[in-house]
Amino acid sequence: MENDTNNIQIDETKDATLDPISEYVANMKTMEEDDSILIDVRDVSMRFRLPAEKIDSLKEYFIKLVKRQIKHKDFWVLNNINLQVRKGESLAIIGRNGAGKSTLLRLIAGIMQPTTGTIRTKGVMAPLLNLGAGFDHNATGRENIFLNGAILGFSKKEMEQKYDGIVEFSELDKFMNVPIKNYSSGMLARLGFSIAVDVSPDILIVDEILAVGDAPFQKKCKNRIQQLQENGATFIVVSHSMATIQQLCNRAVWIGDGTIVQYGDVNTVGNAYSDWCNSK
Amino acid sequence: MKISQSDKFNFDFNSFKKSTYVLGSLVKKNIRAQYRNSSLGVLWTILNPLLNMLVMALVFGELFGRRLPAGIDYPVYVLAGNTVFGLFRMTTSTGLECMVNNYSLITKTRIPYYVFPTSNLLSAAVNFGFSFIALIIVMLIRMPQGVTFHWTILMTLVPFLPSLMMFSLGLALILATLYVRFRDVKHLYSVILTLWMYMTPLFYVPTMLGETAQNILKFNPLFHYVGYFRQIIQVGTVPDWKSHLICYGCGIIMMLIGALVFNKNKKTFILYI
Repeated sequence: MENDTNNIQIDETKDATLDPISEYVANMKTMEEDDSILIDVRDVSMRFRLPAEKIDSLKEYFIKLVKRQIKHKDFWVLNNINLQVRKGESLAIIGRNGAGKSTLLRLIAGIMQPTTGTIRTKGVMAPLLNLGAGFDHNATGRENIFLNGAILGFSKKEMEQKYDGIVEFSELDKFMNVPIKNYSSGMLARLGFSIAVDVSPDILIVDEILAVGDAPFQKKCKNRIQQLQENGATFIVVSHSMATIQQLCNRAVWIGDGTIVQYGDVNTVGNAYSDWCNSK
Repeated sequence: MKISQSDKFNFDFNSFKKSTYVLGSLVKKNIRAQYRNSSLGVLWTILNPLLNMLVMALVFGELFGRRLPAGIDYPVYVLAGNTVFGLFRMTTSTGLECMVNNYSLITKTRIPYYVFPTSNLLSAAVNFGFSFIALIIVMLIRMPQGVTFHWTILMTLVPFLPSLMMFSLGLALILATLYVRFRDVKHLYSVILTLWMYMTPLFYVPTMLGETAQNILKFNPLFHYVGYFRQIIQVGTVPDWKSHLICYGCGIIMMLIGALVFNKNKKTFILYI
């Protein structure tokens, strides 16, 4: 009897000292319970197992294997991340370089798999992690629109429907039959972005690619993303530009050294992060 | 809406159907890249094997041509051998590098990994088609010298080609997996490939070798693929069940091992490339 009350007391004190993150985690619902959750990240950790010394020749590998000298240095990029994103939310991921932001984004996008934990998503996802991935520089703009569309997972029919819209958005219709090796880097980025945003996903994932092209084009990109948001798309972005983040997002998560430092309203977290940066 | 866990690693029919278009686009890109900026363009895919054959026939025709049984034409013999070996060589040597070369696509997009080696296989198969056209042309030219067409030439598409493709892709998957971890595999394999080429009777005739050498050659699967192809093209008889067993046996076993090795390691690719 005495033991029981003791236990309860301990639990109570523990609850009282619960930090906001643990409290948030403790109150997380499952995707089945709450239909509005589109992304459910549970206890996710990501380990990069890198050899302590670089072994990339077979001979070395076998010699070291026989001598049992292969040493691994475990590097935990992400540690026990719990995060949920609901329908219509716009989440900004902020933090210093190397904090694990892009890794988290790639895990959510399904490009990597976490070492431990689960990530579940719901709906059509459009990961825009790179503009013009797989562009063939000797092919024309037109050919590349179709190639890049295929790489992003669209069918030929879908691309034929999208083609005119993409060309119009990119404002590059004069250059469609020119090999893209003759494009300027700004033009290339515009082409890549135009293909990427001509989608109507449930989840749009963007990694630092909003700063492309000239000022009018950047404005156009932001308008396009806002339009997608108004249509109900959930939006996740990694960015270092506080102005962009506060303009486009309503939630923010601050990641430092692989863990969540703070999560909440974009202004609160953004200001806390800015203050922290200034104090450095 | 369906709840899903990262689908890049799970193979299902739906994702396969979706990736056929990207597969086709990558094949087109590969073929285009091969003969870019050459004035004859895609015509080279036919000219190349023709000219290669011409060199071989000029250099070795006198030496080996006479050793062939009656009715077997040396230029056709050489070209048929090179056509088969060409598909194997191209699939494996481009497949070896495919994961590393497609670094940006692998780390930034959700294309399933098997698309890359498969696109190389299909590009090689398209080249096989062009070489096959060259082969037909040579056969037509050599008709006055007694070359005839047999109905068994139709067996090229089925059952011959699938078995060779499975064998080549299986090995390509193994090599691609190894190359992600060990970059010296590339240099090693180029040496092995040269040895392999000489171990396959492409321009010489196996019967001119000693009995021991002939027995060693039989352990080379490519020996059997090349032999099978020449039989249906030049001899015009249906290969016996043993040839089918060897070709399909090697193909299926290599493909299974390749798929197993590739699948087991693919989650770690992204950490090493």
